[in-house]
Amino acid sequence: MFLINCPYCGERDQSEFSAGGEAHIVRPKQPTELSDDKWAEFLFMRKNIKGVQLERWNHTHGCRKWFNMARDTSNDKIHAVYKMGEKPPIK
Amino acid sequence: MLNYNSTIIEAKEFSDIKISEVEPTLKINLRGKNRDFVTKIGKELSIILPTDPNTSSGNKELNLLWLSPDEWLIYSNDKNNLKTINSLEDKLFNDISKTKLGSVTNVTDHWIMINLKGPKIFDMLSAGCPFNFNKFKDSKGAVTQTLLNHVDVIIHNKDINNLNLFVRRSFSNHLWLWMNDSARFV
Amino acid sequence: MMSKNLRIANSNFIDQTSRISFKFDGKILYGFKGDTLASALIANDIHLVGRSFKYHRPRGIMTCGSEEPNAIVQVGNDASMTEPNTRATEIELYEGLEASSQNCWPSVNFDIGSINNFFSPLIPAAFYYKTFMWPANFWKLYEYFIRKSAGLGKSPTQPDKDIYDHRYLHCDVLVIGGGISGIIAAKTAAKNNLNTVLIDDKNNLGGTTLFQQNECFKINNSYSNEWLKKEIETLDSIKNLTIKTRTTLAAYHSYNYLLARENLTDHLDLNEKKDKIRQRLWKIRAKKVIIATGAMERPLIFNNNDRPGIILSSSIKKYIDYYGVKCGQKISLFTNNDSAYETAISLSNSGVSINSVIDIRDKSNSLIVKQAEKLGIKIHWKHTVVNTNGYKKINSIEIMKLSDDGTAVVGKKIKDECDCLGISGGWTPRVHLFTQSGGKLKFRDVDNVFLPDKSELDQISIGSCNGDLELDEVIKNSVNSINKFLNVNNNDYKNLEIISSKEIDKKNIWLLPSDKPFGKTKPFLDFQNDSTANDIKLALREGFKSIEHVKRYTTTGMATDQGKLSNMHALGIVAETANLKMGELGTTTFRPPYTPLTFGAIVGRNVGKFFDITRRTPIHDWHVKCNAEFENVGQWKRAWYYPIENESMHEAVQRESKAARDSAGILDASTLGKIDIQGSDASEFLNRIYTNAWSKLEIGKCRYGLMLNEDGMVYDDGVTTRLGENHYIMTTTTGGAANVLGKLEDYLQTEWPELDVYLTSVTDHYATVSICGPNSKKILSKVIPDLNLSDKEFPHMSFKNALIDNIKCRVMRISFTGEHSYEINIQSSYGKSLWEKCFEAGKEFDITPYGTETMHLLRAEKGFIIAGQDTDGTMTPVDLQMDWIISKKKYDFIGKRSLYRSDTIRDDRKQLVGLLTDDPNEVLEEGAQIVLETKKQPIVMLGHVTSSYFSPNLNKSIALAVVKNGKKLKGQKMFVPMKNKTINVTITDTVFFDKENKRLNA
Repeated sequence: MFLINCPYCGERDQSEFSAGGEAHIVRPKQPTELSDDKWAEFLFMRKNIKGVQLERWNHTHGCRKWFNMARDTSNDKIHAVYKMGEKPPIK
Repeated sequence: MLNYNSTIIEAKEFSDIKISEVEPTLKINLRGKNRDFVTKIGKELSIILPTDPNTSSGNKELNLLWLSPDEWLIYSNDKNNLKTINSLEDKLFNDISKTKLGSVTNVTDHWIMINLKGPKIFDMLSAGCPFNFNKFKDSKGAVTQTLLNHVDVIIHNKDINNLNLFVRRSFSNHLWLWMNDSARFV
Repeated sequence: MMSKNLRIANSNFIDQTSRISFKFDGKILYGFKGDTLASALIANDIHLVGRSFKYHRPRGIMTCGSEEPNAIVQVGNDASMTEPNTRATEIELYEGLEASSQNCWPSVNFDIGSINNFFSPLIPAAFYYKTFMWPANFWKLYEYFIRKSAGLGKSPTQPDKDIYDHRYLHCDVLVIGGGISGIIAAKTAAKNNLNTVLIDDKNNLGGTTLFQQNECFKINNSYSNEWLKKEIETLDSIKNLTIKTRTTLAAYHSYNYLLARENLTDHLDLNEKKDKIRQRLWKIRAKKVIIATGAMERPLIFNNNDRPGIILSSSIKKYIDYYGVKCGQKISLFTNNDSAYETAISLSNSGVSINSVIDIRDKSNSLIVKQAEKLGIKIHWKHTVVNTNGYKKINSIEIMKLSDDGTAVVGKKIKDECDCLGISGGWTPRVHLFTQSGGKLKFRDVDNVFLPDKSELDQISIGSCNGDLELDEVIKNSVNSINKFLNVNNNDYKNLEIISSKEIDKKNIWLLPSDKPFGKTKPFLDFQNDSTANDIKLALREGFKSIEHVKRYTTTGMATDQGKLSNMHALGIVAETANLKMGELGTTTFRPPYTPLTFGAIVGRNVGKFFDITRRTPIHDWHVKCNAEFENVGQWKRAWYYPIENESMHEAVQRESKAARDSAGILDASTLGKIDIQGSDASEFLNRIYTNAWSKLEIGKCRYGLMLNEDGMVYDDGVTTRLGENHYIMTTTTGGAANVLGKLEDYLQTEWPELDVYLTSVTDHYATVSICGPNSKKILSKVIPDLNLSDKEFPHMSFKNALIDNIKCRVMRISFTGEHSYEINIQSSYGKSLWEKCFEAGKEFDITPYGTETMHLLRAEKGFIIAGQDTDGTMTPVDLQMDWIISKKKYDFIGKRSLYRSDTIRDDRKQLVGLLTDDPNEVLEEGAQIVLETKKQPIVMLGHVTSSYFSPNLNKSIALAVVKNGKKLKGQKMFVPMKNKTINVTITDTVFFDKENKRLNA
């Protein structure tokens, strides 16, 4: 059970949050211009890495805000949390 | 005439915990982002909108709870100024929502407000709430949204060992029973 | 009873004035307050307490703590509260305790399964895997016998009457283990203003130092037990310190999240247990964790090392020094280290005669050994036990001299008579919790122990679980570690004068040799799962290399004790045989819980009415009063149907459905999700999330919308009403409400932050009363006389604000049944009253309350879909034949691009169709498969039934289904094969009733 530092509410138990998959996948502005392949890339292709992964999380049972998290999938260590629209603080 | 119906059937008292439903007069959900919105609310209510996370502000009639960077809950239990209180929703809706500064939504019956009093209330809450109350306990006016027995709640620290807890109406009966059960073992 | 007088008088921990009676295997026995079941049994000269798992060999109490592999008993006789697999060494004696042996039949003294022991050469490792593989159809027969003989204990057959609960706990420092180093840690932390919790699984603090009264271990000139007692006494006055005894740390997860089980009533007399919480599971979040769990003694692995009466040497010491119980009258000790001499001295001081100490080492000149020699205790240096005798209790041992390399025995055999053998194979630090938390171990060669190395968490291990096994080191190193870890400077323990015997001579042999050939010996490793050193070697011969594989193949370490005693030797023997270093071999994984947890503790109060959360509508009590049957929809309790007298569900639904179309029906629709939408971009937002266009919707009008996922599949649907220029109210499906709001917030916060739109859930603020049927207009005009209900003024798909008895409400003229109908939304507190008012007004029209089942039937007659029933995340609007709802003009909306992916434009996708059965009385089963060809195998399944009802308004069976290429198959005859018959069906249009929608305006 993680302890997550919501960028708005502070440290809270993981049970207040829900995970929303890989971060920084931007919805194409003009989907109609895209080929099937390009659209499929946006729609389906997600990384599943061992190591630090950038993820979307939502403080579902708190402020309901979405934010991003850099988490090491191998040991669950959270290296950083940052607001939507901000650049990842680590590579 | 239409009758008012409460969700809670009977209030029980325990030696160190008192749980009671408080009949509400008004609850309004406020949303907005820009500075004009914040200023306007301050003027309308003569209360500064709390912008620090997990805090509240208020006066005798009204309480303003911070819920998120762009969301607040106003609530009042003042029975003496019913007229002013009742007209507040329309006033705010006209001055905020219609002027495109933000949104104003009546949620009076969306939330049930339950008052918890007594020296053991935090022990009772800890039976189903992952939130760390260690600091919250001593900070008057503190607000948190969290889970209590898997149900969303808003908790407002009114005073020492005196909390107002908000739960969505449909969950309130279940949570009420759970709290009473839990209070038995504190 | 205590004829042999196995009690000594001078125990400080047992109250010999308060006698307790208990039952073991049906026999009434006596013990004292403070005893464990194990100590009381030993005091009654009962050692044989169980049978081993595979060979049913007699087994006795072997330890005094949580690592006990043998004394696993069933507690309680009550069918609802009996508990299997409890450790007799951890059960505190109470008046009325009943316990019995497990895994033996008909009794522990005469066990039929013990015949396995004679066949044991035929039951090697993985015997079950190898033997019962074939012939395959014999498995049923094998299974019956295996199930009967395998397993440990009986599970209760009735619901548990005990009460359990959960508590969250947040602290600055959690100290696990109340031994000497744990006490120092807790005191230091709390005195430095840190909110500290100290837990220990025993009923009192102090660990083994509590009864260590020996000249060789002194602090500031006092015996170490006396010094520690004073320390414990000071704990009461320290603020910030919470002490929890009888509390076992079960699991240590990441982020210092730990679970501990507190036993609150297990030690109480039967009549004191009632109405109290039995066990409480603490969910602890600690900023810092100090692990001080100590070490446990290892057994020695030699031929026939499992007889009752063979006990860990340190346990014999605890039984005599703490419980005042002699484990035997004539005791031998067998060791490879100094600690057995502490036992020897304790026994000797208590007047128990000691045969001899058999030590595999060449010598030891430590303080403690010298003290033992001074007491005249006989020591066989460089000797080993090669065999033990005695079936139900040990009666003698055979001793021989070890060869220089330790692999063989030489010389003459000495036979020693004894009634108890204490064994000590050294010490294993309890690193279980450290590894559970993700910590990595390192190996220390000098005494063959795994020690905590690296951890990602804010934690330390101190004391003997960190490898400090001698008193002076324990204190010195613990104090330094604690000060550094807590960043404090506690000088209380700086200048202690400590006397501690030091062990210098060390020697270890994982598998001790015997005079018999190895294959003829029974050196047990895992006492509970009955695996021997021979099994390990067999596994290696058969090609297993990884320790994890060896463990599973031989089941070593896989019993309820998780191999607390056996793991190290298994590793040692594997390393030795495979010629590897133990550090390279690594350990198997220790998983939570540390000791078994009851299901009761795991579920806590989430039983019975608290099993799951229930949501109620404001009108719930009315439904209950009117005998409604309820259906779970998400967490909601919804009225399903309202049977009158002895009506069956079918009869009630038929009656309700007919009434709703013939006159009037009333439905509680309060559960629908409701989202208030405000902001200058609200219309644009709706354009982006729904498939149809919203900009031109007039104020006061309603529109049905379909929401897709980005993959083009239908996600949710509902009616949205424009309340003002920038103000809408959206309804969602009951089950989808929370997810829809979450998804919309997601788009607003992440993809379209530029939109000025705010969403607020108002689901619970409103009660929704829906009145439908040809008389609904008349009823509404009675309820709200001022409202103009003419079709011109208030047409279908429009909304009005109204006042009912001065309470504001919103009335929508919308329909999910195809009938003329209204939905009144009023604030919830008045919902029930409004419902009653409508019901009263409708009485002259026989207004009929109907539930969700009738609602589903009525909408199916009209071919309206239910998202989640007729759709399953693979249906596009085109598949649903709802092309009309997809705007051609909009540049984009969620899921639009996916509607013309190569896969979604295939014409042979499954599409929604209507189905009529040839026999109008035959009602199809939902989920039934649809085929075109029943003869040719394999039968190709073309689709399935999604909704199916008998329609009382059409007087025939109707169904909706999804069928491959269904759109083009209208009129096609198909088959629905069932278990006993095949049903003939025809594909039709999806709308069965009132195709022209005349009734909406009737």
